[in-house]
Amino acid sequence: MAIRVNPKLIDELEVYGAEDVQNCYHCGNCSAVCPFSKEPYIFPRRPMRYLQMGLEDKLKGSLEPWLCYYCGQCSEECPRGAEPGETMMSLRRWLTSKYDFTGISRAFYKSGKVELFTVIGAALLTALGFVLWAVLRGGDINSYDGPNAFLPAASIHIFDWALAGVLLALLLTNCGRMWWFTLGRDKQLRTPFWLYLKKLYLLPLHFVTQKRFATCERKRPWAVHLALVVSYLIMLVLIMFFLDLMWSGPEIDWRVHVFGYIATVGLLGTTIFALRARLKKAEPLYAHSHETDWIFLILLIFAAFTGILQHILHRVGFDAAANVTYIVHLMGVVPMLGLEVPFSKWSHLAYRPLAMYFSAIRAEAKERAEKEAVEPTLAAQPVA
Amino acid sequence: MEEQRIGVYVCQCGTNIAKVVNCEEVVRALSEQPGVVVAKTYKYMCSNPGQEMIIADIQEHGLDRIVVAACSPRMHEPTFRKAIQTAGLNPYFVEMANIREQCSWVHDDPQVATDKARALTFGALHRVAKHEPLERMSVEMCPDVLVIGGGVCGMTAALELADGGNHVYLVEREGTLGGNVARVDLTAPYLDSARDLITALVTRVEEHKRIDVLVHSQVSSLEGFVGNFTATVETIWGDGASVSQFRVGNVVVATGYKEFDASRVVHYGYGKLPNVITSFEFEKMLRAGRIQTKEGKIPQYVAIIHCVGSRSKEFHTYCSRVCCMTALKYAHEVKSAIPNCYVSDVYIDMHAFGKGHEDFYKRGSEAKTLFLMYAKNDHPVIRKAGPGDDCEMLIEVNEKLSGEQIEIPADLVILMVGMEAREDSDAVARLVNISRDKDGWFIESHPKLDPVATTTDGIYIAGVCAAPKDIPDTVAQARAAAGRILAKTIRGSIEIDAVFAEIDEDKCSGCRVCNALCPYSAITYDASKKKSTVISAVCKACGACVAACPSGAIKARHFTDSQIFAQIEGVLT
Repeated sequence: MAIRVNPKLIDELEVYGAEDVQNCYHCGNCSAVCPFSKEPYIFPRRPMRYLQMGLEDKLKGSLEPWLCYYCGQCSEECPRGAEPGETMMSLRRWLTSKYDFTGISRAFYKSGKVELFTVIGAALLTALGFVLWAVLRGGDINSYDGPNAFLPAASIHIFDWALAGVLLALLLTNCGRMWWFTLGRDKQLRTPFWLYLKKLYLLPLHFVTQKRFATCERKRPWAVHLALVVSYLIMLVLIMFFLDLMWSGPEIDWRVHVFGYIATVGLLGTTIFALRARLKKAEPLYAHSHETDWIFLILLIFAAFTGILQHILHRVGFDAAANVTYIVHLMGVVPMLGLEVPFSKWSHLAYRPLAMYFSAIRAEAKERAEKEAVEPTLAAQPVA
Repeated sequence: MEEQRIGVYVCQCGTNIAKVVNCEEVVRALSEQPGVVVAKTYKYMCSNPGQEMIIADIQEHGLDRIVVAACSPRMHEPTFRKAIQTAGLNPYFVEMANIREQCSWVHDDPQVATDKARALTFGALHRVAKHEPLERMSVEMCPDVLVIGGGVCGMTAALELADGGNHVYLVEREGTLGGNVARVDLTAPYLDSARDLITALVTRVEEHKRIDVLVHSQVSSLEGFVGNFTATVETIWGDGASVSQFRVGNVVVATGYKEFDASRVVHYGYGKLPNVITSFEFEKMLRAGRIQTKEGKIPQYVAIIHCVGSRSKEFHTYCSRVCCMTALKYAHEVKSAIPNCYVSDVYIDMHAFGKGHEDFYKRGSEAKTLFLMYAKNDHPVIRKAGPGDDCEMLIEVNEKLSGEQIEIPADLVILMVGMEAREDSDAVARLVNISRDKDGWFIESHPKLDPVATTTDGIYIAGVCAAPKDIPDTVAQARAAAGRILAKTIRGSIEIDAVFAEIDEDKCSGCRVCNALCPYSAITYDASKKKSTVISAVCKACGACVAACPSGAIKARHFTDSQIFAQIEGVLT
């Protein structure tokens, strides 16, 4: 059955950042220079071809975009200026919008303004919600911790877990859709359950170590990214499990705060690095910035600075100022987590390890199928 | 017969010959032969000192025949003929033995190569003794030129010749000048107007006082030989016809091409599907200024299919060279006229070989032309789309770059029809006595070193009639042909080689075997005398008639039986 070419898809992808893909004439230099491009996952050339031809289903079923870490060597080698690295980046954005069933992601990627207004709206709602709640329950603006605290740690803790639950549910739905597009609906591919179990170790491995990223010839982007991930993980653990220890003050509880400071330095350093690099277009990876990239980075830096400020204010005893700063901090953190994790750039924290996991399953399933296709013919030979 | 005094010169060709052939040994063996007065070897016999040595020896030792054992006579026979002529000998008193291409370059064993070199030189020695003095003829060169074909090529050649001072008869079959380019809208890759280009040429040609334009005309016969042709041209005026005759010295054949008939490719449905059109039909649309379907609708999807009739086993295996850039030009013109139209370009390979072509190809990509590749000898299939589709037709093809079987939406399909030799190219070839290749294109004298001359002196080919080419290449060839003719006519006469076949009228039985055999049409038959005669100016001394004549009536000058037998004897000594 012939697949219908859709010349319009290339126009649709333009808003996701794929502006030069039409220039590609398939010399294959990009795929030759890419350290990850190996059978059965040849890229960037193959997804670029699918995109030029508008083979939407093939693209939706592609894991290749997630296997790329955008070291940018392909874009440097491209004789036609087709920006294969940026095309892969754009495909990741497009896939993110396809995995998301709500359509919110699509709206964000299509218009930076929509995302910006949603972020601002969510920030204002957050502020309004917390202030109303604190005032109604009679919290004291001059008290940061203790029984009369404006926002008690225990309540915030419950809110954190609730938010995490919602985000996880949304993200898992998207992951389920990713599985369906890439493995589930492929009727020709036989993927037994034990294969999913066998390869399961890949998920935490890649999540924590970013092992594959380290394979790129350029090591700096990997190091920066790893620092960011580790800092976030530390911060996540501190907030989700040790919030009460973090909260109490003004004396510093070094058991938790030593980790907090390390994570803060990591977050601030890597975010400033990324912002500077994007402004200077220092590396191919940073040469093209989508509106969503800027919003994400600005939210990060905003959350980091307000977090530091409220920490300082609380430690020096300006509890009222610390409470206000904390609300402002939440105005950055809540939209950042609530919108970026399920619908935008941050969702890749789930899709990348998943892609590694799914691609290993798919590769092995294919290999098995090929072996089986050979073996029966051997078995069919009459025994003399 | 008085004793002959022969000089033998063995060339080392640097080390080309000497590294395998023992030149000293060859010299020693030859010097002992009767009649050999001088035998020498030298590093480069063709060099000035080498030639001067031969000239000095002729004068000092009174040599009357020379043998040069060196490279192929094709390379340096004219050099040595000229040298001995300078020394006062008849230029035909030199014979060459080819001990480079036939010995040192093809043999590894020095002894074997040396033995063979000696044998070949012996052959030359025996042969040269039998050489007769021959005189070259000089014939008058008529400066007037006949140009057949009034397209870009013919007009350019005519203008160049007429500007150079020669009178030109420009014969065009159709009623107007311009040829196929006159059917085109813009030219690729610079998008200049073809109309402007043609108008400028036509105006100059028609106003030129040394060009006679004969439209509605065809050359019906061409008699004679280089410098002295008589052309007969038939002109049709309304319902009457007239015949004119004139003398010309040279002829430029610039008959161009015809487009491939797209209906021969059945799977494209040309002639059946109304919106499948040829490139020339699309040019007509572009010239009219409106791109639309037969139903008058603006197309949303336009597909262009390359290599229609070209590069396929079924039709023509050659590439028509202009279609790739023309297709890109169409993509450009469609996008400029209908910005939201999607253009698919279905190709085999993109041949972007010329100046500005690669940039033009890139610009096509940047404008989002969707390039889809199919395999040579595979072919897309066009069918009508269903009622639910947003397009008129679907083109199914196995796309090579993705490896997928795909269907491409199309409202208008443009078939890039290739170039084909005209149906009457055979008649033209016979008229001017030149040959055609398997595809019907006229054959040049040498594909690289002599691309506009033919094997018939005085007949030049230029433009697409020799093989598909674009306008710049055609113009270059037209000017090249004109330049060759101007160089030949400027002296007023030409020398004709003294080597040709002669028929002994007493022995000729008039059987006419030789007439049909001659590849150069150099033999005429006198019906009243019942004898055949060779036109020496046309004869190329190939020897076909000599071997075929049942009466042994034909002798090839410089290749007589006695000379050849002597050479064989010498080799076998």
